[in-house]
Amino acid sequence: MTETQGLIAGGLLLIALLAYTFWPEKVSASQLEKTRLDYLIERKEQLNENLRDLNFEFKAGKYPEKEFQAQRAQLENETAMLMTEIEILQRA
Amino acid sequence: MALFGSFALLIALALAAYNLLAGALALRLLATGQQARISPERLADTARRAGIAGFAAITAAAFALVWSVFANDFSITYILEHSNRALPAAYKFAALWSGQEGSLVLWAWLLGAYGFVLRLTHKTDVKLYAYAGAILAGIQTFFLVVLNFAAPPFALLKGHIPADGNGLNPLLQYPEMVIHPPLLYLGYVGFSVPFAFALGALMMRYPGEKWIKITRMWTMVTWLFLTCGVFLGMHWAYAVLGWGGYWGWDPVENASLMPWLTGTAFLHSVMMQEKKGMMKGWNVWLIFSTFLLTMLGTMLTRGGLVSSVHAFAESPIGYWFMIFMVMVLATCIFTYILQRDHLKSEQRVESVVSRESSFLFNNLLLLAGCFVIVWGTLYPILSEYIENAKVTVDAVWYNRVAIPIGLFLLFLMGVGPLLPWRATSFRSIRRNFVLPVIALWVTVIVCLIAGVRPWHNGAFNTGYFYALVTFALAAGVLTAVGSEFLRGAMVISKQSGRNYFWSIYQLIRRNTRRYGGYIVHIGVVIVVIGLAGSAFNRSEEKELALHDKLTIGPYSLECMGFTEDSNANYTSDYALLDVRKGGKMLFQMAPEKRVYMASGQPQTMVAIHSIVAWDLYVVYEGTNPDTDQPIIKAFLNPLVSWIWAGVMVMVLGTLVALMPSQRQGVGNRE
Repeated sequence: MTETQGLIAGGLLLIALLAYTFWPEKVSASQLEKTRLDYLIERKEQLNENLRDLNFEFKAGKYPEKEFQAQRAQLENETAMLMTEIEILQRA
Repeated sequence: MALFGSFALLIALALAAYNLLAGALALRLLATGQQARISPERLADTARRAGIAGFAAITAAAFALVWSVFANDFSITYILEHSNRALPAAYKFAALWSGQEGSLVLWAWLLGAYGFVLRLTHKTDVKLYAYAGAILAGIQTFFLVVLNFAAPPFALLKGHIPADGNGLNPLLQYPEMVIHPPLLYLGYVGFSVPFAFALGALMMRYPGEKWIKITRMWTMVTWLFLTCGVFLGMHWAYAVLGWGGYWGWDPVENASLMPWLTGTAFLHSVMMQEKKGMMKGWNVWLIFSTFLLTMLGTMLTRGGLVSSVHAFAESPIGYWFMIFMVMVLATCIFTYILQRDHLKSEQRVESVVSRESSFLFNNLLLLAGCFVIVWGTLYPILSEYIENAKVTVDAVWYNRVAIPIGLFLLFLMGVGPLLPWRATSFRSIRRNFVLPVIALWVTVIVCLIAGVRPWHNGAFNTGYFYALVTFALAAGVLTAVGSEFLRGAMVISKQSGRNYFWSIYQLIRRNTRRYGGYIVHIGVVIVVIGLAGSAFNRSEEKELALHDKLTIGPYSLECMGFTEDSNANYTSDYALLDVRKGGKMLFQMAPEKRVYMASGQPQTMVAIHSIVAWDLYVVYEGTNPDTDQPIIKAFLNPLVSWIWAGVMVMVLGTLVALMPSQRQGVGNRE
């Protein structure tokens, strides 16, 4: 490739990439903020997963009954508190 | 092609800089709600597109470099220094990463490729991706500044252009070298992505831990690449360097291990954040450190600060990396101080004996291991700076510190999965630990009977002691992990009425991340067993005349001839050895020593015969100038194949963990 050919190829590359970058688009992707409600729903899903894991590990014989009940009660408590906040936010 | 390549690199730099500045401005406008002539969303979109276009520009530059290698364009200094006409095609391709400038092109291209995928999938979380994209553009800008102004790959030769190049470093003319550096770079560069997400999430005070879920695949894929890169490097060192070992605590080896250790710590502790909302600040610093360590490794080895058998590309660009690292560290510290209230843990570790604390100890040990390696690697530089005398740290020092840390990690690998979350009772411990402890002690007894005795004739053998502890712990860990699979499978089998094999398959499908992780642990245990085999290594060296014999272990090696050969690329001396066991002919080996014509440099081609129990490793050490007879060195290295087999299991486990879990199945578990 000669110098001139190299310059032409480079120039064409520049034009193509600038056209792609600044090509007018009608719709741009929205930059919405994540809300507290979104976060709480995510957290609820995680707590449900933790509960499922706890149940499974109990059935697999990893926890004695007493420890299992105590941990389950704590997780259910946490979930209930989240649900209350979710309901309040959804009503608002 | 040189002009086109240089032009493409300049375009890539302009686009990366635009991506960074326009992206940052758009995010600033969105955060403050300020009005501007162009909408922030539109500005952010052009920034994202500039990132994609930048990848196309770097691809064009990389293509120009590869094209120039194949076209034997020796007017380009880089091609002259790293290729020659007779170089086989695969190695011509490898010339792209065999030198400083080419390595940086590959680095920038891989970063561009990761950024390309990230920017295409931005609709997952537009704002978070915009932050991550701008941060990646910042990293890319640095590399492109270096490529354009400090280490230009298309620099032209002044004066007479030679008819042929200097050729590729002989050590790199080995099949694994075609894939090892790209894999290692994929790992190194890949950690930029979770780093960008973590820093971006902290900057925007991202609510919740979803960013971890988004980056999980990136982090695991990156970790997988780095793991493969590290072990391929080990295998290359074993097969090419001819000293009988695979890990010499060389600065380049250390540089690849440092981010691997912190990355592994991150993969573990991030689960705590996801599940319990704990260790948020810790995790952020783990990924910051991992990224900084990839930069430190590059600065140490590619910047010419330390010498290494692996450092094929050195130039004085270390200061550029140092300035960049200081800037990154300052940004991380500033962002952390500004947003630290966002990183408060939602829960605390309640008991020292719990899953949480096992993760914490695991992290501390991995970090301690990393610190030891950083200290040992930097010590020669520091000692030269302070005392004006370079003091190097040898393998004995590293082994003395790193092996006990590794054994504690192995211990935790067995303990961690058996501990419940939050806290545990003595009854729980007794119930979960009986089988692993039995397996551990049975192994100790079996090993002692088999002759693995640390105390022999009144002397203490440290190597045997560590091997004994390793085998015992390995048995305990394998039993612990195995019992996790069996217990889970029993629950499913009871529910479904199907056999255990089907139940284990279902168990893995229902929680690929957890059980994939356990498979990785099995792989690590197999690797560690292989490493422990080095305690029993032995070697013999002898000058062999025709039909002379060298005996090592159960093998007898008889010299059947020694001769010379040559082709366009190299000349070689090699010996033909018949290997017999108990008088019975088994196979023939041909260790070789090559001298490459273009560079005049020698290279050892080791002959290796590998079986499950050991490797017979034979090196052509050279020729005695007085007798013209070959000097052969043979090693018997036990359990080496276990290391490579263990890596394959680790890869399999990571691939399983990368697969999505069957969610409806998870529901069935209740």
